[in-house]
Amino acid sequence: MADMGSIDMGLAFKIAGGGFALVFILLTLLYFTVWLTKVITEKITKGKDK
Amino acid sequence: MFELLESGFQFLTWGNALMIVIGLTLIYLAIAKNMEPLLLLPIGFGIMLVNLPMGGLMNYEYQLKAEQPGIVSNISVEIGRFFERDTTVVQTDSGAVASPVHGRVKELNVKQNQKVEPGDVIALIITTEQTDQSKIPTKPVGLLSRFFAYGIMWQILPPLIFLCLGALTDFGPMLANPKTMLLGAAAQFGVYFAFFLAIFFGFDLNEASSIGIIGGAEGPTTIYVTAMLAPHIIGATAVACYSYMALVPLILPPVIKLLTTKKERGIYMKPQLRDVSKLERILFPLVTTIIVVLFVPDSAPLIGCFMVGNLFRESGVVGRLNTTAQTVFIDIMTIFLTLSIGGTMAAENCLQVKTLLILVLGVISFASAAAAGVILAKIMNLFLKEKINPMIGAAGVSAVPMSARVVQVMGQKENKRNFLLMHAMGPNVAGAIGAAIAGGVFIGVLYR
Repeated sequence: MADMGSIDMGLAFKIAGGGFALVFILLTLLYFTVWLTKVITEKITKGKDK
Repeated sequence: MFELLESGFQFLTWGNALMIVIGLTLIYLAIAKNMEPLLLLPIGFGIMLVNLPMGGLMNYEYQLKAEQPGIVSNISVEIGRFFERDTTVVQTDSGAVASPVHGRVKELNVKQNQKVEPGDVIALIITTEQTDQSKIPTKPVGLLSRFFAYGIMWQILPPLIFLCLGALTDFGPMLANPKTMLLGAAAQFGVYFAFFLAIFFGFDLNEASSIGIIGGAEGPTTIYVTAMLAPHIIGATAVACYSYMALVPLILPPVIKLLTTKKERGIYMKPQLRDVSKLERILFPLVTTIIVVLFVPDSAPLIGCFMVGNLFRESGVVGRLNTTAQTVFIDIMTIFLTLSIGGTMAAENCLQVKTLLILVLGVISFASAAAAGVILAKIMNLFLKEKINPMIGAAGVSAVPMSARVVQVMGQKENKRNFLLMHAMGPNVAGAIGAAIAGGVFIGVLYR
């Protein structure tokens, strides 16, 4: 186990902040992608029905 | 004559006995209480096996070499007798040669007054310790240590199990209501909260990451990250993760009740989710792989395997591969993985304060993950016309499908008309993706 003084806290904050932000950004991006896919799929389906 | 009959009794310690009791307890919970039996039964048996002395199942061989030239003046350990880490094995005129691992000397290659040169093998040591192979290379020589070294340390078993989980996962509820992905993202707060707490309690960054990722509630992700960053604590983190996944019905309800009112828990959500087309189901794993791996390349083994397994399921053209992944293949991988994880829990490796700390931090990470999901759901309700039941935020703890079932049961208690299971499955499966991303970030920054 390490002494807290020897841990690079700046790096720890970067890992946590950056990691959490990246998880949110990517899942938001996927949210948008899923919505876009749904819209495109519905347009394709409507086009085929016509 | 009796020297030929080396029994385990003479080497059995109180620590071994305690770990055997713990192993038997996990087996009892699996069989009598039906708590995650596919996982806890083999883990419990592995714990029992490795703590029966002289079994050799989890043995590694370490070659202790001389670093400086000298003449052996004293041999400080007996062949076969257990010693702790950093014990002097031989004394030379240029200094002590100590073992960096705990264990027993199997072979002594030097005698008193023998001259040794740098690189000469002084002794062959048998240990059960998981070491950083780049610093202390060891060779697995037991059945379970070979499963562990070539299955887990070579990062083969966890991604393959994730492939099978992908084949078993239905992303339909999440695709039908994609805003629930954000709840899965919020639940990863538990990972980083536990990460900081672990640092506060004296763990280094690699260990803290391995402890934090327990909060992702994904066994393969936890094992994968810990194997790469802190293999010496893999037994504790894996057992913590799988045990708490089984204990989700006990962990989630108090957190949910603390953060929600009765009225909020009774919020009705229409049971009918929109139909998700086959094209959407096929595109999702493809698009997710491309986007996530481009952003977080180190998540490729986990995300890639998860999504290819899901594509097996959704494509509809590889029924045999899908069936195999969902049944026989995952069972085979589970047997190798869980027995070897149990094998890492030898008493000399895990009966330490840090193991207890890991178990405590593990439950904190689960609880804080659930709390974060619930809180985000409540925040989202400030902006949504059609309110979501905030309890489904707790299902971002991706113990699939246990968390979603807990939310379903609690929802029914508050409002008999409420069927929250499929709504809760959204954050439940999104949390698995979030955990893999979080794991990939840890590995990308810290793995050397």
